[in-house]
Amino acid sequence: MQAKYVNPFLKASVNLFQNYLDLQVTSGKPFLLKDPKSLYEVSGIIGLAGETRGAVVLSFGRMTAIKIVSRLAKHEYLALTNEVLDGVGELINIIAGNAKQDLLEFRIEISLPGVITGKSYKIHWPEGVPVVCIPFSCEFGEFSVNVSLKDIA
Amino acid sequence: MKILVVDDSAVMRRIHQNILKERGIDEGDILDAEDGQAALELASRNTIGLFLVDWNMPRLNGLDFVQRIRAISGYAKTPIIMITSEAARYNVVEAIQAGVTNYVVKPIKGDVLLEKTGKYLHA
Repeated sequence: MQAKYVNPFLKASVNLFQNYLDLQVTSGKPFLLKDPKSLYEVSGIIGLAGETRGAVVLSFGRMTAIKIVSRLAKHEYLALTNEVLDGVGELINIIAGNAKQDLLEFRIEISLPGVITGKSYKIHWPEGVPVVCIPFSCEFGEFSVNVSLKDIA
Repeated sequence: MKILVVDDSAVMRRIHQNILKERGIDEGDILDAEDGQAALELASRNTIGLFLVDWNMPRLNGLDFVQRIRAISGYAKTPIIMITSEAARYNVVEAIQAGVTNYVVKPIKGDVLLEKTGKYLHA
């Protein structure tokens, strides 16, 4: 998958976490996600359809999710409540929607977000399309944005 | 004046409601709905002066909601601000054509939301 398809998600993530949520985030070098189980305990997922296809997954550890959604909502959550899961869905919704403005090659429709929790789960990514993992760290812990988008070029 | 916040995310509804309350809007004047269908039902039972509407929602999405509410004579010119993560230019064009008054891309800070809604608020 070409970098030009990953960079819009990186840019949207940095804008959300750093500029909007005022978190000092550090992004690591993107890499191909070989083990589909190597995600954190809480993942928000959005499907991409239209003139291309793919999916985007935002994955957090439990406490990182709670703290980041608390920052988003300006409300202190103490556990992984339904509202925290709702907030994780909203975060991935913002990343996917914002990334669209820089994915100029094709028109994309984004699905409603879903959120998965658990110690071990497997996401069935679009077949034959590599998954690129962008690792992040911030004061609330580590998280990742994982992108799978079919190349059309 | 009643304001209707329409968003399937409970967190986003909380954020927008808090911003409006901080602006001095009475809590009783802020209604909320989790999708376009629920918003249509609320709008039929109340007189809404300002809509803040998300795009991607189950049952009836924001775009379809705007088209439906604009077809109701009493709401033909009521301000509708679409607040959505959908940032592509073609989305903005589509929303304007559907009848939104203003279009704001999430994430949106409180001062920006107040700037966009300010001229419609009479608190």
